[in-house]
Amino acid sequence: MKPILRNILVYGAFIGVVAAYGLLEKSTYYLQLATFVGLNTLLAVGLNMLMGYAGQISLGHAAFYGLGAYVSGMLTVHLGWSPWATLPCALFAAGAVAYVVGLPTLRLTGYYLAMGTLGFGMIVNILFREFRRFTGGPSGLPGLPELTIGSINLSHGANALFLVWGCVIVAFFICERIVDSRMGRALRAIHYSERAAAAVGVNTASAKLAIFVFAAVIAALAGFLYAHMITFISPSTFNFLASVKLVAMVVIGGMASIWGSLLGASLLTLLPDFLHVFAEYEMIIYGLILMLVMIFFPEGLFKNLVKLYERAKNR
Amino acid sequence: MNAPKTDESARPLLALDGISKSFGGVRASHDVSFAVERKSITGLIGPNGAGKTTLFNIITGVYSKDCGSIFFDGQDLGKSPVHKRVSMGIARTFQNVELFSGMSVLENVLVGRHVRTKCGFFGAVARLPRHREEERLAQKYCMEMLDFVGMAHVAKKPAGDLPFGWQRLVEIARALASQPRLLLLDEPAAGLNAMETKQLGELLGQIRQRGVTLLLVEHDMSLTMEVCDYIAVLDQGRKIAFGTPRQIQADKAVIAAYLGQEEF
Repeated sequence: MKPILRNILVYGAFIGVVAAYGLLEKSTYYLQLATFVGLNTLLAVGLNMLMGYAGQISLGHAAFYGLGAYVSGMLTVHLGWSPWATLPCALFAAGAVAYVVGLPTLRLTGYYLAMGTLGFGMIVNILFREFRRFTGGPSGLPGLPELTIGSINLSHGANALFLVWGCVIVAFFICERIVDSRMGRALRAIHYSERAAAAVGVNTASAKLAIFVFAAVIAALAGFLYAHMITFISPSTFNFLASVKLVAMVVIGGMASIWGSLLGASLLTLLPDFLHVFAEYEMIIYGLILMLVMIFFPEGLFKNLVKLYERAKNR
Repeated sequence: MNAPKTDESARPLLALDGISKSFGGVRASHDVSFAVERKSITGLIGPNGAGKTTLFNIITGVYSKDCGSIFFDGQDLGKSPVHKRVSMGIARTFQNVELFSGMSVLENVLVGRHVRTKCGFFGAVARLPRHREEERLAQKYCMEMLDFVGMAHVAKKPAGDLPFGWQRLVEIARALASQPRLLLLDEPAAGLNAMETKQLGELLGQIRQRGVTLLLVEHDMSLTMEVCDYIAVLDQGRKIAFGTPRQIQADKAVIAAYLGQEEF
């Protein structure tokens, strides 16, 4: 009974904080900033399932984020579909691409997998730039419709915040359940020793492929939400640097830590905002933070904070 | 191609027929044939580089063989992948113990139960009564396996924190969790002290009593001679002898391979 109680408490508090913030914060700017934290958390938690738990590095994750945004964007702008009708298409497209790309790529390990996914991310980004007729090219695709239900607009202010964070909470719930299950154990086993996981009967190729597709679908969902919130998409949002930033969120927050994804995404979304005077040195600052975290908190900030708390409690 | 048609219970559990494998120009296995009888303990010995571990990897499907056939319970294993062979009933342990170090001991054994459970991603999220029941039974079975090897008291500990001898026992429990009919042990006594080796010998006997057939690579000669019913001897990729421990100890070719040849 105790873990169930703990879960109710944790999720209750989580929902409470989101609701309170959405209801009390009046500034559109800070509402949107918090919504962006939610989008990045969604991306980070999906990537963390792949990277942190299954141990498969992806340097092209922003491509799936972009696919979700562009598939939905092109269908709504060029064909006039309702955004809601494009959602399953966007998710399916990203999942299908992940499946086809993952089949050969996930046979690679370590640096080779990183290189393979990096190449994939770049190719997708070039396609966004070059298929001008459909994607609007480097200058982007404007005029996306906003998300609405009846007369309620879900792309602005507190409503957008609730929608995005609602998705985050559902994703957290799903991910926590996967981690603590037969498949979750198999994925973690692959991380520690792929050879041993195979030797005890895990179909490592299909398990890796499944989690790769899962992470891609989550990213596409984030892309869909982003596209209809901003109503304008351009390739630079989904480039290589975006992929690296996602990896940094996972590593800084903590590999194999679902709540760490929240911390990492929050830090890397809010920090540039507070440090915008250093905008030109943004990448240098990221690099420094990443280095310091790797040296002093190799398990990520979240797990180290938990450890500090436990040490203080036992004293 | 079919295995010789005989009475089912008399048919060997595992039959190797002319297995060869080369890496580049190196012949790791050359025309190896022998059979492992049901419910026997069969040892595989030979000097370093004789091709014992290669043979293990061919039987479990990690390496593909260049030619020859492997029959498991009369069924040609062909090119079936590693995880398929585990579900057919072939389990293994590693020479250097490969546990999932950051996971708990019980979780390690639960991964060993993977092929006997079905819950996928949907079941993980939905957690319907049948998924909960499957998980409960899996945990129960794995705790029994841990109890069997005497490691139930550390079930919640991270596997990487255990002393080496205990890790080896956990690895055996993990292999047993898949309910194998054939268990391949790669140097199970390596790194164990005399006391632990003796206990291991007893454990191997108990595993056999559960109806599991054992095939082990082992360097510890006293253990091998004591627990094995049959021994196959490899030298430079070839099988040079097969027989009971007594026959092997008296075999001229074996003595030559281990101690060096005096004549020719």
